[in-house]
Amino acid sequence: MRSDNTESDVMNGSFLQPSDSELQRWMSSAFIMAKEALESGEVPVGCLLVYNNMVLGKGRNEVNETKNATRHAEMVALDQVLEWCSHRELDPKEVCKCCVLYVTVEPCITCAAALRLLNIPLVVYGCKNERFGGCGSVLDVSSADLPHTGTAFKCIPGHRADEAVDMLKTFYKQENPNVPKPKVRKDGMGPAGGSVTTHTRKHEGDGKMAASD
Amino acid sequence: MEPETKKRKGMESDPDSSWHVIPVLSDEMSEEVTLLDAYAVPITDKRQTSRLVKDLSVVHPLADLQHIKRVRACKDKSSPHALEVIVCLVSDISISAQTRRPTLTDLLTSKDFNLKGLGEPFLVRIPARAPLTRPQFERASLHWPTSFHEDKQVTLGLTGQLFTSSQQAKIQEYMTAAVEAARSGREEGMDAVGAAIVDPKSGRIITVGHDLTRDHPLHHAVMVCIDLVAWAQGGGVYPYGKHPACRYTVSDPLISSEESAQPYICTGYELYVTREPCVMCAMALVHSRISRVFYGASSPDGALGTKFKIHCQKGLNHHFDVYKGVMRQTCEELTLLH
Ligand SMILES: [Zn+2]
Ligand SMILES: [Zn+2]
Repeated sequence: MRSDNTESDVMNGSFLQPSDSELQRWMSSAFIMAKEALESGEVPVGCLLVYNNMVLGKGRNEVNETKNATRHAEMVALDQVLEWCSHRELDPKEVCKCCVLYVTVEPCITCAAALRLLNIPLVVYGCKNERFGGCGSVLDVSSADLPHTGTAFKCIPGHRADEAVDMLKTFYKQENPNVPKPKVRKDGMGPAGGSVTTHTRKHEGDGKMAASD
Repeated sequence: MEPETKKRKGMESDPDSSWHVIPVLSDEMSEEVTLLDAYAVPITDKRQTSRLVKDLSVVHPLADLQHIKRVRACKDKSSPHALEVIVCLVSDISISAQTRRPTLTDLLTSKDFNLKGLGEPFLVRIPARAPLTRPQFERASLHWPTSFHEDKQVTLGLTGQLFTSSQQAKIQEYMTAAVEAARSGREEGMDAVGAAIVDPKSGRIITVGHDLTRDHPLHHAVMVCIDLVAWAQGGGVYPYGKHPACRYTVSDPLISSEESAQPYICTGYELYVTREPCVMCAMALVHSRISRVFYGASSPDGALGTKFKIHCQKGLNHHFDVYKGVMRQTCEELTLLH
């Protein structure tokens, strides 16, 4: 896996300054993922973690199926990187510090902190996340003085931002009218709590939460 | 999976019986009183008071200072006049008038204003913002009388009277579960941080967990507990079989059917954690809609009071109450084990 060829990008640090063509290439993959998610009625966020011109992690939001509100696309992709490292018995810290995250929406505060904790040095993103953004929109976790929370990271914002915002808007619009009425289970059968759509309906705005996270 | 706290009542002879629950309030609620320079004038003819207040509110409405009581009783009892009234802020009049000692006509420039009953202006300092807590109110009132809409919960919290002794015992019971989890984690070589999530309606502990960062760098105790709640609700991401002290209770279907549905993730639940959560965990609690957080020891990058106050961060759509200092000494001793 660790050929001289793949090592070079990391060795000379050029991955920290992706060329326009690199940036467009990876971001267009992220946008394709976001579009696919939107078309299947899911939160339109796409992200990938790139190391040495290899995609080590690809994520989409998995909040609904896991009932874990922190399963954002970035967390899913980070787990894949950790898995990749453990299979190859590589130190995740050494790999992560040479990874770039490409994501269609600014990471939320939780994800921004997770990226810090794993020492990811660079995040390229599309639109701002006005509700939860951790790279300046709500808080700036990316550059805050937090000596015990990994390392600060650099951001390249605004790549195809309008497109990313439009996808989020489309998602919000189609979401609300489609949500089925909550079923009140009186029989004690079936999964307690019902489906997550029930929850979404009960708590106005949670769909949006998942969306812009 | 009943938590073991009951079996271990012996643990209650906690060395640290002197702890106090301290609310972690927003910056606005904890800040010092800010003051503005203003001109006040003695009311030399008491009978003019209500007319003066009415006329002044037209020419100088003090729109951002609704908390200020316009008239006060004169502090100096030997004074010939009994009342004093705020005319305007220093910043309301021209710079040239500010530099000399302004006269009444500098403050009330309209020829139509009836100056009857007013003495000569003098400088006062008045509170810039409405007090949000009783201590702020008391400090503000030293400068000028101020109205105050008291939040009784906050006052009780600040005076340490919010929780009854039986509630305090419950808090200790839940934190003890978190402390025991932290110790179990420590035995596995993890950081000594533990947490428990409780449903206060039933009093049941839903999950107990501890730090697992040796297995996964993001598995702080709080993240573990959030995922364990997901497991308890039929979801979940990571397996915890190797860690017996990380556990959850599936809610009784007979009970949950009564209440129609489980809450959305952590809605209505409380978290007890030995150490102040970091920014990742604090925001994860916002995403999970936790209702209250109790922690023991502060941490240097903590996000519920130390570096940030995520629980009352402007711009976020969910806020919750935070209390610190629970079993403080025991929890601080755990952090020394790192
Ligand atoms: Zn996120
Ligand atoms: Zn944490």
